[in-house]
Amino acid sequence: MVANTELQRVGLSGWRTGLANLMRKENHAWWASLRQLVQSLLWTVVINGFVALMAFVLLPAGREVDPTLESLESLTMGAELLFKIGLLALAFRTIVLAQDEILGERQLGVTEWLLSKPVSRPAYVLSKLLAHGLGVLVTLVGLHGALGYGLLSLIIGEPFPLPPYLLGMAGLAVHTLFYLALTLMMGVLTANRRVLLGVSQGVLLGGALLTNLPGTAVMLTPWGLVNVLPAAVLELPLPLPIWLPIGVTAILSVISVAVTLARFERLEF
Amino acid sequence: MIETHNLSKAYKGVQALKDLNLTVKQHSIFGFLGPNGAGKTTTMKLLLGLIRPTSGSGTVFGQDIVRDSIAIRSRIGYLPQQPRFAGDMSARETLHFTARFFFSGPRPKIEARVDEMLDLVGLQDKADRPVNGFSGGERQRLGLALAQVNYPELLILDEPAAALDPIGRHEVLQVMERLRAHTTIFYSTHILDDVQHVSDTVAILNHGELLAQGPIEDLLAGGDKPVYTLSLKGDARRALARIEALPWVSGVHEVAHDGLETWEISVTDDQAAEAQLLSHVLAGEALTVVEFSRRKFELEEIFMSIVEGGTNGR
Repeated sequence: MVANTELQRVGLSGWRTGLANLMRKENHAWWASLRQLVQSLLWTVVINGFVALMAFVLLPAGREVDPTLESLESLTMGAELLFKIGLLALAFRTIVLAQDEILGERQLGVTEWLLSKPVSRPAYVLSKLLAHGLGVLVTLVGLHGALGYGLLSLIIGEPFPLPPYLLGMAGLAVHTLFYLALTLMMGVLTANRRVLLGVSQGVLLGGALLTNLPGTAVMLTPWGLVNVLPAAVLELPLPLPIWLPIGVTAILSVISVAVTLARFERLEF
Repeated sequence: MIETHNLSKAYKGVQALKDLNLTVKQHSIFGFLGPNGAGKTTTMKLLLGLIRPTSGSGTVFGQDIVRDSIAIRSRIGYLPQQPRFAGDMSARETLHFTARFFFSGPRPKIEARVDEMLDLVGLQDKADRPVNGFSGGERQRLGLALAQVNYPELLILDEPAAALDPIGRHEVLQVMERLRAHTTIFYSTHILDDVQHVSDTVAILNHGELLAQGPIEDLLAGGDKPVYTLSLKGDARRALARIEALPWVSGVHEVAHDGLETWEISVTDDQAAEAQLLSHVLAGEALTVVEFSRRKFELEEIFMSIVEGGTNGR
């Protein structure tokens, strides 16, 4: 029998109480699951494979039968596809991955059990956000970015300029984290999975339709990144500074996290 | 250990708990009884900070249940009614994870505590299986181990034996008995027999209202309305008239059987009854007293009478 006096007590540390232990659990759940890593790998390979197929097979074949395609450069198309499809696909994958994180645990009673331990409510929310944010950034954005960089370098036959590419990847990372924050927020605002998925995916897909509207206002939003990022990577002229839509998306992410924390503080289990 | 003052909780206008004034003393095994929907789980969740009171207040270890919730939870063990854990972890991993909320090391000592808990609830042979494959009883036993992993000063158990077979139930009761010396146990149950065996104090709740609270011995003895049983041989008519005339006798129920007269005498003054009842019966009569005792009630009788009566006392 081990007495409590033989063990080192964990001190209470306000809003951080329980955070380290929860982070360990969430990180373990993310990284120890081979299935999750393989799925993320497949996801990015499929996206980049599609871009490669277009750039190296379909476009050259198309030019032979349709001379008007001569004007379409492989690089432009590659960057456009890489970022436009990447933004949508990574956000979609993030929504799917994060949908159960708070809502599922609430419904199963796991959250109630965890909060009966010395765990602060902000620590619970932040452990989800930080662990999954890291997982999404490394396995989705990082992997997609590395493959995409190799692809663009192959298209131009030399290393693609790094600064504009990293700027584009920063935009992609902020955009993906926005959908993580949005999905976690919906897990706190609703107890209905269909509402969670409807709103999160509706914002993603519905917003994409708005990008066809005239004017620059929509370019300021997360949806505007679909048009702005490829142009920024290709160092084409932009209707507005690139940091503006990235900054607005980051601010919206912070607002989503703040709403999640405030609402979760008032939830009853 | 636990004190509540007019603690109340309403859900969308429906009063789940009304003005609860509860006192749980240190090292007691406090049985919290009531039918489904009485407010037992609501009370426990209020004490744990899982829900917030609509009005009133409460303290555990002298700390406020709203303001100091995390500090309180660091000294508590809790078993929910239907224990649910992260399903992909094994029982050992779940215990280790839970222990890490309370202790940072040394690792071998934490491992030893985890093994001790697995032994305590008889899950050593299933320790490395994922908990999502556990039966209801195994889940309950793991929940009990998790609730004790920090050697809490207060154990809050919501229906701890509900999903267990009779042997498992007996084991849980034994564990509770063993823990009495180290911890205070506040538990809810429907199994009144268990309460009578292990509890020293009980409270009965119905429709969110506290109907009775006190040492179980007092409750089983009839509380503030004791009943004496008297069996006599002989002509007892004049004795009965004398007894009924006494100011502290509130009622006499007579049963005659095989030449034996048995009276159940309800009294309002226990001391007077104990000292004088027998002498009033025997005064000037040639009667033989076969039995004279204060009636002991079964908890079920008390419970049914209080819950169905809906008032304090029987």
